[in-house]
Amino acid sequence: MLAHVARFYHPTTVEEACSLLAAKDHKNVALAGGTHLAVVEDSGIEGLVDLKGLKLTHQRRENGRITIGAMNPVEDLKTSTLLSGPGGNLLRLSAAAIGSTPLRHAITVGGNLVAAFPWSDLPPALLALDTEVVLRRGKEERVLPIGKLYETRPTDVIKADELVTEIRVSEFATSTGTAFQKVARTKNDYALITVAVRLTLKDGLISEARVALNGLTRRPCRITSVETFLTGKKCDKDIFREAAKKAGDGIELTSDFRASREYREEVLPVYIRRCLEEAAANVSK
Amino acid sequence: MKLNITLNGAKKSLEIAPNAYLLDVLRDLAGMKSVKRGCGEGTCGACAVLIDGRLRNSCITFAAHCEGATVLTVEGIGSHEHPHILQKAFVNHGATQCGYCNPGSLLAAKALLDRNPDPTMDQVKEALDGNLCRCTGYVKRIDAVLDAAKEMKSSREEKR
Ligand SMILES: Cc1cc2nc3c(=O)[nH]c(=O)nc-3n(C[C@H](O)[C@H](O)[C@H](O)COP(=O)(O)OP(=O)(O)OC[C@H]3O[C@@H](n4cnc5c(N)ncnc54)[C@H](O)[C@@H]3O)c2cc1C
Ligand code: FES
Ligand code: FES
Repeated sequence: MLAHVARFYHPTTVEEACSLLAAKDHKNVALAGGTHLAVVEDSGIEGLVDLKGLKLTHQRRENGRITIGAMNPVEDLKTSTLLSGPGGNLLRLSAAAIGSTPLRHAITVGGNLVAAFPWSDLPPALLALDTEVVLRRGKEERVLPIGKLYETRPTDVIKADELVTEIRVSEFATSTGTAFQKVARTKNDYALITVAVRLTLKDGLISEARVALNGLTRRPCRITSVETFLTGKKCDKDIFREAAKKAGDGIELTSDFRASREYREEVLPVYIRRCLEEAAANVSK
Repeated sequence: MKLNITLNGAKKSLEIAPNAYLLDVLRDLAGMKSVKRGCGEGTCGACAVLIDGRLRNSCITFAAHCEGATVLTVEGIGSHEHPHILQKAFVNHGATQCGYCNPGSLLAAKALLDRNPDPTMDQVKEALDGNLCRCTGYVKRIDAVLDAAKEMKSSREEKR
């Protein structure tokens, strides 16, 4: 409950929204789908700045790039006819893995990547696609690689009066395969493990490997030990098996009532191997 | 603050608190008692309504976020005297026992059929995946929605 929210704003431009967020006399925060803000207890928040009127619901494909507005409900990614190819497919699959139908109609792309929880399903896919995040502070714009947001917490990087307005992803139209896997007790439950993989090939060898995780780490991350091992190698079952064994290297796995650390340690390599095989099998010509 | 919405076809202007949830506004200020509180945290769908045609859980939706929107509750789709085809199908298939989940699942079904008049069983399952029912066991309501879709199709064809 946001007990002290006494103001609710409906700005219609990014500039107007940012200036409301910059207010010194009381604390305003941005409201997107509200699925997180509606369930938190935060008596410090005094005003909500609804981003609904900013018209950030665009989806475009131009010059091999996909651009998606921050206020797209994730359901609109899931059902998008514009999103195709290895990059678009990975976005669609990760959006489809989120919650239930009414939740997907509420949860937005921007909210899911900013309020990144262990169960957030978009972030690993965004990491695997080397997504660029466009931030606006009034007229001022900066573009950050998604990985930057997850080095610490996104809110440490995004300023209080700054907004995510869109994300940009390469289509990876050729020589690329992607795969996504969410492991959960039921389809609607939070993930125990989320894996997103991209393999981009050159002359038959892996030139770029991305293996990104969530669900079993404190925040979304890439496993660079596996990525480095795969770079320059062939797509081969034995190589994938070997790569998957390195999955736990350098990352700290979590333990909670849904699954123990030991369980996660045991099954993580299996899901990584399967995702690598699936990505290799659907490499676009 | 004022909230202006079109609720079940009628324009409403309601005086709300800026931090109010749509669930409470619909039940307590607008008298729409079909909207139920189950979990209160977005997991059960008992409170689901259609906001501009989208199924949303009203317990985790700020009322002020709906300014200018069209909101539909079960009161807006049928009545005791003139039930909606979906409501009749739920009764005929025994997809209602305590009835607590029905308003949400009926609206989930309506949102599906508005978009896709001829759904497959898997599409019905997915459309209702956010609406828990602790009584009827799910099969009956899936049959009910598929049946309602068929009946709506034949009544459309009759009209032609
Ligand atoms: C029952 C339930 C189950 C869920 N299951 C899943 C699941 O399986 N997988 C999954 O991925 N997610 C799931 N979620 C959603 C997840 O927990 C977050 O609630 C959601 O991603 C937040 O998105 P939102 O658009 O609702 O953001 P909001 O709640 O509106 O905002 C969240 C935070 O992000 C900030 N913010 C939002 N948009 C912007 C922007 N454009 N720029 C800057 N800051 C911004 C807000 O200020 C706020 O601090 C679930 C949620 C619930 C309630
Ligand atoms: S009461 Fe809203 S989802 Fe359960
Ligand atoms: S009829 Fe009782 S919960 Fe569904």
